Amino acid sequence: MAFRPSQRSRRPKENAEPNLTPVMNLMVVLIPLLLTSAEFIKLGMIEINLPPAARGARVAQAQMPKETEKKLNLTVTITDEGFYLASSMAVALGESGEGPTIPKKPNGEYDFQKLNELLYKIKKQAAGVFKDSDQIIIVAEPEIDYQTVVFTMDAARSYKTDQGPVALFPKVSLSATVM
Amino acid sequence: MAFIPSRAKRHATGPGEAKLNLTSMMDMFTIILLFLLKVYSTEGQMVQPSEYLTLPKSSVEKHPQVALDLVVSKEWIVLNNRPVAKVADVLASKSLIIPSLQQELLKYANEAEKMQQRYGQEFSGAITIQGDKDLPYRVLVKVMATCGKSKYPNMRLLVYQRSS
Repeated sequence: MAFRPSQRSRRPKENAEPNLTPVMNLMVVLIPLLLTSAEFIKLGMIEINLPPAARGARVAQAQMPKETEKKLNLTVTITDEGFYLASSMAVALGESGEGPTIPKKPNGEYDFQKLNELLYKIKKQAAGVFKDSDQIIIVAEPEIDYQTVVFTMDAARSYKTDQGPVALFPKVSLSATVM
Repeated sequence: MAFIPSRAKRHATGPGEAKLNLTSMMDMFTIILLFLLKVYSTEGQMVQPSEYLTLPKSSVEKHPQVALDLVVSKEWIVLNNRPVAKVADVLASKSLIIPSLQQELLKYANEAEKMQQRYGQEFSGAITIQGDKDLPYRVLVKVMATCGKSKYPNMRLLVYQRSS
C-alpha cells in the first residue's frame, strides 16, 4: 500500500520563497563593475593624412610630390561666405557664376548637405581617372572655428545613398592660408 | 484608563522573523544590469577627454587609440598634463611654429626613440590632439605644423561621436 501522509498534520504550509541572497551578491558586484567601465560618451578619432613626401618635413602646406600622373588636387576652402571648391582641372563656380561655390544658407549656417552632394558628384566623375581620387585638401580662413572644419571633414568623408554609405574623400590634408 | 493588553498578547514575543521584501529591488537591479550590459564595450575608455574644453562632434567611426596627449584648450596648450604655451601668445605670434611646444615634443620624441633602440618599442610619431570646438583654424594649423616638424607627423583629432 502506498504511503499516505497523515491527515492530522496541522502545520501550516510555509510559503516557498526563493533565496535571493546569491543573486543579490552578483548584482552588487556586477553593477559597480559595469558602471565603472561604461562608456556614456563615445569618442572618435579623425586621422589626418599628410602627403607622403611631405611627411614630417612639410606639414600643412599641402605640397604634393612631383609626379607625372594626373592629379585631382581637390581643395575645399572654407571662408566666411561659404565653400570654394577647386581642383587641378577647374574651379567650381557657384550658381550665380561668381562668389563661393556653395554659399552659406540664408540663416548664416554652412551648407554641409550641399557640399556633400557636390563632392559625391565629383567623386563619381573622378573615381578611377585620378590617382588621388580619395584625397582632399581642406583650407580655411584663420578665424574659422574647429567645429566647422570637422563638419567639413565629415561632409567629405562619406555620402549616404540608398544602398548605404559611399566613401568620398576619406584622406584629408589640412592646408594653411597666409597667416 | 490606560489600555491593558490581553493576557495572550502580553506573552506574545512580537513577529517571528523580519522579512525584507526584495522583489522590487531585484526588478530595479535587473533593469540597471541589462542597461549596463547593453552599453558595455570591451575596449573601455582608453583616452580621457580633458575637462577644460568641449570637443567637436563628428560622424567618424574610428575608435581612439592611446598616444601622446596634446590638449589645446581655450587658454593653454597642454602636453601630457603639462602646460607648454598660452593660446593667446600663439595667436599673437606670426611664426607657424610654436617654439616651446616644439621643444617639449622633441624631448618626448628623443625619449621614445631611445626606447625604440633599447627595448624595441616602436615609435610611430602618433599624437592625439584634443581641441576645443571654438578654436580658430589658425591655432589648429600652428599646433599641427609644430607637431609635424617635431617628429610627430601621425596626428589624430579627438572628437565626440555623433550618432547619425
